[in-house]
Amino acid sequence: MRPENYQARAHPPSHEYELNFGPNHPGIEGNYALRVRLHGDRVVAARAEGGYLHRGFEKLMEGRLWIQNIALVPRICVPDPSPMEVCYALSVEALCGIEVPPRAQWIRVMQLEMSRIAAHLFTFGGHAATTGLYTNMFWGVADRDRVLDRFEELTGGRVYSIFNLPGGVRRDLPDGFLERLSGLLDYLESRLEDYDELFFRNRVFVRRARGVGVMSQQQALEWGVTGPNLRATGLAFDVRRDDPYLVYDQLDFDIVTEEAGDALARNLVRRGELRQSIRILRQVIERLPAIDGPVRAPIPNPLAWRVPAGETYTRIESSKGELAYYVVSTGGEKPYRVHVRGPSSMHAVQVLERLVVGSRLEDIAQIMFSLDACPPEVDR
Amino acid sequence: MSRAMNPWLEELQRDIEIRGERRVRIEIASESLPALLELLRGRAGFAHLSAISCVDWIEDGEFELVYHLWSYELGMLVSAHTRIARDPGVYLSVYDLYQPAAFFERDIHEMFGLYFEGSPDMEPFILTEWHGPPPMRKDFDTEAYVENSFQWEEYQPDWLQELQEQGGGIARRPGEIR
Repeated sequence: MRPENYQARAHPPSHEYELNFGPNHPGIEGNYALRVRLHGDRVVAARAEGGYLHRGFEKLMEGRLWIQNIALVPRICVPDPSPMEVCYALSVEALCGIEVPPRAQWIRVMQLEMSRIAAHLFTFGGHAATTGLYTNMFWGVADRDRVLDRFEELTGGRVYSIFNLPGGVRRDLPDGFLERLSGLLDYLESRLEDYDELFFRNRVFVRRARGVGVMSQQQALEWGVTGPNLRATGLAFDVRRDDPYLVYDQLDFDIVTEEAGDALARNLVRRGELRQSIRILRQVIERLPAIDGPVRAPIPNPLAWRVPAGETYTRIESSKGELAYYVVSTGGEKPYRVHVRGPSSMHAVQVLERLVVGSRLEDIAQIMFSLDACPPEVDR
Repeated sequence: MSRAMNPWLEELQRDIEIRGERRVRIEIASESLPALLELLRGRAGFAHLSAISCVDWIEDGEFELVYHLWSYELGMLVSAHTRIARDPGVYLSVYDLYQPAAFFERDIHEMFGLYFEGSPDMEPFILTEWHGPPPMRKDFDTEAYVENSFQWEEYQPDWLQELQEQGGGIARRPGEIR
């Protein structure tokens, strides 16, 4: 340790006490813990403790065939699994030089945006519950279920769809799927005004969330913050726009930004992103029927598939921020190394530890939910 | 000074590989990597450390560290690869340049047993109750570890014994399944 990083471990003064916040706590997303030191109800210091959801995915993936890992990856982030599948599939395709048929790319974009809507609805609900607004939580979960109904129809799985293979997607759309998806979007749009009334313009929520967990744009950049949390500090950056993948460069959507950088701003960014996702899905519904062709590129026998040696760093925009896979192949039947960079590995550890300092005990849960931190992504 | 830097820069130029529109791969010696990162951050605006990946090349006796840097201004991702000896497995922290490095270095220390000098926090995070070797190393065999550390439990409830007396029971013993 260098001298400049040395910090004397101060003996806690008698008026301070330690509190274990989690690992099983309604104010924590998933199984995760914060050890906070408090002075009255004011947080003086905090330390994140993970590992409760560690399943060793990176090690498991080294021992399984390329195709088998498809069933493992969506489990890395429970509320938003589709980006995990797509990112892994994109990595394998990059290593093999497989061209994905356009129709499959559009179906993937459709899934990603459906997943984003589901994840955002879940997060609003969770955040509302931390401020005592339980109706919004029930509504959010119920509306998310309608999105999951469409996932079930499309893929057979409600949460983990295991639908995106290297080379494309498993099946084409069922008959009449796009009409039903369009009906779902109509329904969601009709609900947006209700959500505004109930949550985003709710005085209780606005007064609780404004000025809580504030970070400046400079801090956000220094701490490696990405995704909606970064956009809430005013930087209009989105991997979909600035480092496009799939067919995002052919789609018309806005990058939602806010200036304040607090819990309220982060939620308002997600509110805007929900609308943008609906807008993207409308374009998909309009343009997908005109795109013919297969939904899967031919791949070799998946049980004896040797992926050419090489390495690739693939990143996409998940609902929580920048998600990336570093995949190394030595030309074998199994990956040599897969490193998953979940966006929450920054948000749930360093950023959360810093943002809660100075806040009050009852705001810790709000700050965590406003960052949309996903512990399974951290633990992997 | 500038004359001393010339060979280094020339060498660097040889090792830069453009891969696609927004991807650059650089292979660099471990002693030059901090200087490269300082240059990229200070002069080229690569402000975002996306990740540090570690790969265990056990046959070469080396760890490969890959620093993925993104520049918001240039819209470009640089992956800087470097290799260090597996034994003793010590390297320098880049926390001074990039604060996100603290998480990745702590994670690599935990999973690969690689030590980063100057990193602010090397305490266990995920594997707090783990006393075995760093599990992501290639020489750590998960199945062998399970075999040596745990035992199959004997399971003989009454109903199973009754079934066995009638000639039924478990078709295959756990050891046979594996």
